[in-house]
Amino acid sequence: MTFDINVLIGQWPAILSGAGVTIMIWILGTIAAAVIGFLMAVARQYGGMVVDKILGAVVAVLRGTPFLIQIFLVYYGGPFVGLELDPVPAGLIGISIYGAAYFSEIFRSGFRAVPKGHIEAGECVGLTRGQIIRRILLPEMTMLVLPPCVNMTVILMKETAVLSIITVPELTATLSAIGSQQYAFVEALSALALFYWVLVEVTGWLGNLAETKLSRFRFFNA
Amino acid sequence: MRKNSLLRGLVGAALLFGATISAHAADTLAAVKAAGTLKVGTETAFAPFDFIDAGKHVGLNVDLFDEIGKELGVKIEWVTLPWDGVFPALEAGKFDVVAGPATITKKRMERYRFTPPLAEATIAILKKAGDKTINKPEDIAGKKIGVGKATAQLDQLKEFSETLPTKADIREYPAFTESYADLAAGRIAGVANSLPNIAFVAKQREGTFEVVLPPFGKKSYFGFIGLKDADHAPLMDAIDAAMLKIKADGRMATLQKKWFGASFDTPDAVKDPAF
Amino acid sequence: MSIELFGLLVQASIYTVTISFVSIFIGFAIAILISGMLLTGRSLFVRPAQFFISFFRGVPLLVQLLLIYNLLPAVGLNVPSIVAAIIGLSLCTAAYQAENLRGGFASVPLGLVESAEMVGLTPRQIFRRIKVPIALRLTFPALVNEAILILKASSLVSVVGIVELTRMAQDLAGSTFLPLQIFAAAGLIYLVINWVVALAGGLIESRLPGVAR
Repeated sequence: MTFDINVLIGQWPAILSGAGVTIMIWILGTIAAAVIGFLMAVARQYGGMVVDKILGAVVAVLRGTPFLIQIFLVYYGGPFVGLELDPVPAGLIGISIYGAAYFSEIFRSGFRAVPKGHIEAGECVGLTRGQIIRRILLPEMTMLVLPPCVNMTVILMKETAVLSIITVPELTATLSAIGSQQYAFVEALSALALFYWVLVEVTGWLGNLAETKLSRFRFFNA
Repeated sequence: MRKNSLLRGLVGAALLFGATISAHAADTLAAVKAAGTLKVGTETAFAPFDFIDAGKHVGLNVDLFDEIGKELGVKIEWVTLPWDGVFPALEAGKFDVVAGPATITKKRMERYRFTPPLAEATIAILKKAGDKTINKPEDIAGKKIGVGKATAQLDQLKEFSETLPTKADIREYPAFTESYADLAAGRIAGVANSLPNIAFVAKQREGTFEVVLPPFGKKSYFGFIGLKDADHAPLMDAIDAAMLKIKADGRMATLQKKWFGASFDTPDAVKDPAF
Repeated sequence: MSIELFGLLVQASIYTVTISFVSIFIGFAIAILISGMLLTGRSLFVRPAQFFISFFRGVPLLVQLLLIYNLLPAVGLNVPSIVAAIIGLSLCTAAYQAENLRGGFASVPLGLVESAEMVGLTPRQIFRRIKVPIALRLTFPALVNEAILILKASSLVSVVGIVELTRMAQDLAGSTFLPLQIFAAAGLIYLVINWVVALAGGLIESRLPGVAR
């Protein structure tokens, strides 16, 4: 079995582009998912029972079906409801919606974990809803939700590989294509695995760093 | 105690692996005959050669390999993979031969061995019925054209696109099936694929699609693919002989008429592909 | 959509369920092995175990499946599609389950262990009769969660040649040009399967011997 790394090195512009697409979709998708998820969590917490039930059903569907099926629905089913998307936007939307469902659950449990006493104290002192959220809820939640959020970020990064199936030109698609065309499957697959692994390890390490730096908001020994 | 059960676990796992490793016979033909089964890898998304019709695997490949199986005295076992995974899997030994079929090209011939051709593969454009903007192949300039990933059709389309005043916007699909669906939905203006394929699809979906003539690719043929090494030579020789026999006694022509509406005159072997 | 097409989807989902559950159980066995290696505290065992967990949680399942199917033959291990699918899913779930188990063992109340030591149980007995049952009881919800994750992840095994629910949906959507209905139906089947698993998990959990807290 020969292993010729030069085949890949020769293709570095394409590989770089693929990696770029992966990272771009990952970062944008995760941020969008976190924002949408947070808004959903707030809506479910303070929006009344009807909103809570409806969003609850949406979240259950998004968490109960495979990501691939959701992507197929958005990309192939979209045109039938007037939504004609190119692969990259479809991928971004897919990641954002899928991630939002999970982030909303993370934030919801974060909300509930902050002791009611702290909130009531804030209300007694006369803080507005917005001030309570900003100065009590969020800081205390941060430590609690940070590990699951980092975890979710890693999961979303790995899900971007699935987007290759709807022809998004991200890294898995790019390296597989190079592997096919240059008959260098071994090199391409190995490089692919290595890239993701390194990225995940780095993300985990950054997450740990964030946890230690933000530990001043810890209010009990979790 | 923990170390013991660790060791036992490892031995058990090793035995399990050993049981599933396929025996590496020196002669693939002998191995196939001994097992009574010929494993064929394919994509099942390449109508009319190989496709799924309401859950059933049908097509020219299925019928033709049934005949080849009869000649060799073995059953056929199909393995379905995405097209860009088929060649790595062939090299990894997951099956004995690839259906597809694949276009016979110089580059592929360097690495693989082709059977006698079974149909012409010259490529043309499929468009939405009633689309007046595309009347000849050159009209695809600047338009969105779909094609399958890792196919020879993709290479030919790219080459043709370079000769046009404005390049075509080439969309790669995991399989042609998805490109036809997008064409029907109006997301792309055309699909570039071999004439027998798009002629079949146009007929299957009367009124949805139309073929744009003339074909613009260089003349090419489809064949089945196998590995080039000495181990596989007896098997490939046997398949070659079976196919030539099927051609000689007219079964090939019957199948071609069944799936294409007409029979093709193909050479017995392609030694010097056009590209 | 016709009953016939829906029936085809349900048939394919049998592959989904079978492959998933076989993988979950094999994965669990491997996870016990791996967390056992972690618990020994000896570098010889801990390092490979950490490597295993890091690799199988760090590389996307899609890439893992491709590696197992296409690259292993190069080192002499040529496995058929279904075996490759099960190996891929098992190893992936094993890594996550090993992490769950580690958390479970760490959460065993120290007081129980100490009282057991005072009563005179040997370390081996403590492990077998106190730590293991309690850790398993604590990690059971996470196990049910993993089961659901694997059921969803099985949607990817078509890249190694298995025609399971998602692949069948793709084929049908391609031949009927009705992606919306077909994929929605497939999604519905997944939802039902996952809901049943969650329900069953809850039922089993309520019948497990509880931990007095």
